[in-house]
Amino acid sequence: MAVCVAIIGKDNAPKFFACANPEEELNFQYKVLSSLDIVEEKLNPTVKTSTADLRELYLGMLYSLETHKIYGYVTNTKIKIIIIVDSTNTSLRDNEIKSMFKKIHSEYADVVCNPFYIPGEPITSKSFAMNIKSIMLQA
Amino acid sequence: MNGMSSEDGSLVDRRPIITCSGEIDVFSTIENNLSEALPQEACEWRRSLGRPIRSVHIGATFAPYSAAGLPKGNQWDLIRQPLFHIYWTECSDVDVYKSSVKEDIETWLKELSSREIPDWLIVVVENFDGKRANKLLPRTTVLDKIRADFAPKQGDRCISVINPGKSESRSADSWRGLVSRIRHLLLVAYARAVSRLEDHVRQQRERRNDPGWDFMRYFHLQEELAQVLEMLGLYDEALVQYDELDVLFSQFVANGVSSNSAAWLSNFQKPLDRWHGLKLGQSHLAKSPSILELRAYLFAKQAHMLLLLNKVWEMASRCLPFLHTCTREMSILEVSSPEGALACWLFLAAMEVLQTCDKFNHADEAEDFSFHTAGLWEYASQKLRCLGELCGLLPGGTPTSEQLHIVVLLSSGMGDNPGPPNHPSPTDKLKEALCSQDVFNKTYLELTELSMCTYKHTGRLRSARLVGRQASSFYLLLGETQKAAAFLGDALRNFEADGWRELVAQAHIELAECYRRAGDPAKLVVEAARVAGASEVDTLERWSYFEEMRKCIESLQEPVVIPFGDIIKIMNVSVKNDGPIMQDTIIEVELVIDSNFPREFVCSNLMMSLEPEPTTEKEKVSEKYCLGRTLTSKDMKTQDPRLQRLKMKKILDYKQDKQLAMAGVSSKFTVLKRKDSVPPQIHRDFSNCLEVNKLPLVITPGLNTIRLKKKADSIGKYFIGQVAVHIKKLHLISLPLSPRLLVEIKEEGPTLKLYKTAAPLLSGIEQTMNLILTIGSYSVESRSIIKLTTSPGLAVQVERDNPLVNSLEIEVGPNFPFSSIRRHLRIMADMLSKDHQVTIHCPWSAKPIVVNLTFTPPLAATWKLQTVELRKFVQVTVVGQCEKDLIAEDAVLSVAGETCDIVARNCESSQIIPNGLSYSYMWEIVFKRQLGADLPTLKVEFSVKYKLDDKDDDNKLFRYFFDINDYQTLYILDTNVTPLKGNEFCRAGAVCHLHLTISPAAEHLPVTQSVMYEVLAENGVWAVCGRTAGVVTFGDGAEERAGEVTLDVMPLCGGYLPTPLVRVSRYIHGEAGTTGKNTGCHRGCGLSVE
Repeated sequence: MAVCVAIIGKDNAPKFFACANPEEELNFQYKVLSSLDIVEEKLNPTVKTSTADLRELYLGMLYSLETHKIYGYVTNTKIKIIIIVDSTNTSLRDNEIKSMFKKIHSEYADVVCNPFYIPGEPITSKSFAMNIKSIMLQA
Repeated sequence: MNGMSSEDGSLVDRRPIITCSGEIDVFSTIENNLSEALPQEACEWRRSLGRPIRSVHIGATFAPYSAAGLPKGNQWDLIRQPLFHIYWTECSDVDVYKSSVKEDIETWLKELSSREIPDWLIVVVENFDGKRANKLLPRTTVLDKIRADFAPKQGDRCISVINPGKSESRSADSWRGLVSRIRHLLLVAYARAVSRLEDHVRQQRERRNDPGWDFMRYFHLQEELAQVLEMLGLYDEALVQYDELDVLFSQFVANGVSSNSAAWLSNFQKPLDRWHGLKLGQSHLAKSPSILELRAYLFAKQAHMLLLLNKVWEMASRCLPFLHTCTREMSILEVSSPEGALACWLFLAAMEVLQTCDKFNHADEAEDFSFHTAGLWEYASQKLRCLGELCGLLPGGTPTSEQLHIVVLLSSGMGDNPGPPNHPSPTDKLKEALCSQDVFNKTYLELTELSMCTYKHTGRLRSARLVGRQASSFYLLLGETQKAAAFLGDALRNFEADGWRELVAQAHIELAECYRRAGDPAKLVVEAARVAGASEVDTLERWSYFEEMRKCIESLQEPVVIPFGDIIKIMNVSVKNDGPIMQDTIIEVELVIDSNFPREFVCSNLMMSLEPEPTTEKEKVSEKYCLGRTLTSKDMKTQDPRLQRLKMKKILDYKQDKQLAMAGVSSKFTVLKRKDSVPPQIHRDFSNCLEVNKLPLVITPGLNTIRLKKKADSIGKYFIGQVAVHIKKLHLISLPLSPRLLVEIKEEGPTLKLYKTAAPLLSGIEQTMNLILTIGSYSVESRSIIKLTTSPGLAVQVERDNPLVNSLEIEVGPNFPFSSIRRHLRIMADMLSKDHQVTIHCPWSAKPIVVNLTFTPPLAATWKLQTVELRKFVQVTVVGQCEKDLIAEDAVLSVAGETCDIVARNCESSQIIPNGLSYSYMWEIVFKRQLGADLPTLKVEFSVKYKLDDKDDDNKLFRYFFDINDYQTLYILDTNVTPLKGNEFCRAGAVCHLHLTISPAAEHLPVTQSVMYEVLAENGVWAVCGRTAGVVTFGDGAEERAGEVTLDVMPLCGGYLPTPLVRVSRYIHGEAGTTGKNTGCHRGCGLSVE
């Protein structure tokens, strides 16, 4: 299971943030923020280190900390999805993380389809938060 | 690099062993040459299982042959055994060969084949002396014999070589042949050994879950393989072996604890008693290593391979995950260790890797490095800080004796690892830092600084800012609040730029703490206000910051200005005035603000600035304008240009034959503007502003509606600029409102108008006009003067009693905006004059106002000359044009000169002439003598006295001048209508005769010879039959002096009809030739017809 899921808009501002433990949210925010550096690097084709296929939305592990691993995913409209996983959780494989991202992406797409949602605004939908929580926990 | 790990002599030598037998003396002369020459050139290594062919360098160690030392064919550890066997002989004589050498070789070979060793070589060393040239028969040399005896099918197993000791050019070839032969055959043997080792390793790995399997044993086994590969120069493959070991161990740790299958893991669960720093380069694995030692050894090996592969950056990139793995495994295996020991080890490891990177760093790869080293620097600084906390080294604290004890314990556990002088090893550094607070501070700040720099260098600004945040908290402990605030400020700006509101709020809290320490109320109040207004922060916390803000405000000396930010939001601004705002009226603006403060506050002043319209065109263009009178929060939302919708356009490109060549879409990019690095200037001019009437004002949390007012004192276009909310000395100021909301203040100047009454103006009578001064939006100086100038013949006056004058000055007098002043203007125009002007000079306008006035006389007169045969009467008809009735009397007609008398035929009484009605007077002109050919013009003056009403004694005189010409009677016309003969009466519809007699009036008058007559019958009454006009010519005789004409006319209706009118006129004959010219003297004189 993931401990934190964040959706970052293309302006790099957070649109949605969910933590398994709400008390840690601020801490995770710092982590997610610094991971944006690496996401930007990977998306910037001029930087040498970005060798990844640009059509692949999954960016893989962005970086790891002693306690956590941070994974990234970028949609075609440059919406970034970040998942933080506890690094003691060795049962999570790359494929599972990938499928988690796909699920979150489709949930996000549903939210954007809602005519009452203004793109670029923080996502406040309760059902969305519920769905994300369940994705976080089930994996 | 010769593949022998020679620089690292302590390493296990994995070079294959070659045994030598036969004539060892021969060999010993070339042994050195051979062992040097073997690894010099690469050789292709073909391997089974479809692995790619690699070119490798192979070396060898030589050992004397001993049958006892030969391995068995099925042994797995062939690598460590003699692998290849060479028999050396110098024998050149076939007989000698046959007698002794052959036998020797036979026993040697038998021994080898009995152990199934196929790898051997027989070398015949020839001392070249030119004998060979005489050789005639083949198969007579020793080599040939050996080949025939021992290797009939494997010719390559026997080789001759010219002794290189005595070599010249020819021997070089044969030497090279020997070396490459040995190399090849050795590699074949070695390959077999390696594959056997690989099989064995694989076998052992398969059994890893068997009880009794020991990881360390397996580790050494696989390491052997790695060493072999390393020896061959296949560093990448050696690295793969180490990586496999790494993964295998990780898996055991991850799974083993739960499954209990790996009993050997307990060896690694011993409490940690030493935490010597990681050492790259040469490293030894202790007998029974702790988990850290094993890990460190493994990493050192991997790093070594990477360094050999020249992938220094990869080593750096592997370091952090490696350190994380170690920590994790420590905790999984529940290895107990003194507090801080692990941190020490991690710090040392990170520093060691960083130092190595530094050593191998090349300028052109600096960037690649930086990507990986930045994180390491940060990690090292974190670990050092942990240690600092543990040992009480953080600024502001002093280590307790317990903490000092920890330092001693940790230092001893690190062991000694002194670096060269000037280059202290990581261990030295850490020990020093743990011993002294100053060194600790210095080291920590150095590390954070390096980390920040490296992050910035690689463009990871966010990470750099987060490290800066760490540094700031350290500086805060040091009491260097300024530096702390600087780092926090940078981080804050970064968070704001990315829109991470919670982090922004957090940064404000930290900054507030920083300023609280610094004792800077002016800055603290700003941060406290920000925190109090941040909805992301917990309400209780906001309350306390709000209270703090209130307290700080009291102690402020100077006003502090802060932008609104999130504290107060402008929701709506609307101008409440309808229509244009006139000067001196009140501008009313309604402002709706959303206060985010957690409690209500007393606002000591609230203002809204008015800015004049920008003067330069450029400024005007760059601003957006609000079209209406209301600005809502929706309007004020700034649009991020990057988030704007792209304007997509389809593009269809046709070929010449109208076929579609290309279809696509294109987007016109919206202009990307560089973001201003300097935020717009905050404080603008509030000298001209809208204000609140009732102060102080209480602003409650949430929406507040406030009315602001201002008297519009100067005209022009203004924009509502900024809103300022003052809480005593804390001034909250909004950004300039955009789009700009326009307030236009107009003025209305005074106007002056001259109104006449409804009736037309009459000359000769004093009348009243209204001079109306309308004051506009501003009052006029009361002593200013309006000057009226009239055209000649017109006089005016405003005062009742003063005489009328041509030029008049009027003082405006006291006045108020939007009032009007009416003055009665007495005005009189001379009689006989008609068009006049009044020119008005106003003090407020340079251009005079010209008013055109048209006067009409009160009476209009016409005259007519009436004739009765030779008597003449003048009829004067006057028509009243005055609104009121005029009372006229004493009408007089007078003629200049003595030619005639005037006899009045009028009544003496006065007459009332109402408006529009006429009254006629009649006079007879009696000529004193007979009129001759030359008629003097009669200059006639008609005058009548009139007054407007009875009470008025001031009679005015109306005069009317006219001339009378051509007043003599020349002809007398006589017309008579008679019925036709036999008819008694004239009947309608019956033709009658019209008898016309034209006779001159007097004999002495010059008579025109021919007169033309025309019958002007009235339509519908008379119809003229036949001709209607004709010419009568007078002769000289008396009978011819009267012309008589009879015409036929027919009355068309019954009744008393006037006879048809006949007009006569002088006739000029056509033959005179100049008819046209003479017409000018026609003197038509109407004569009445009886």
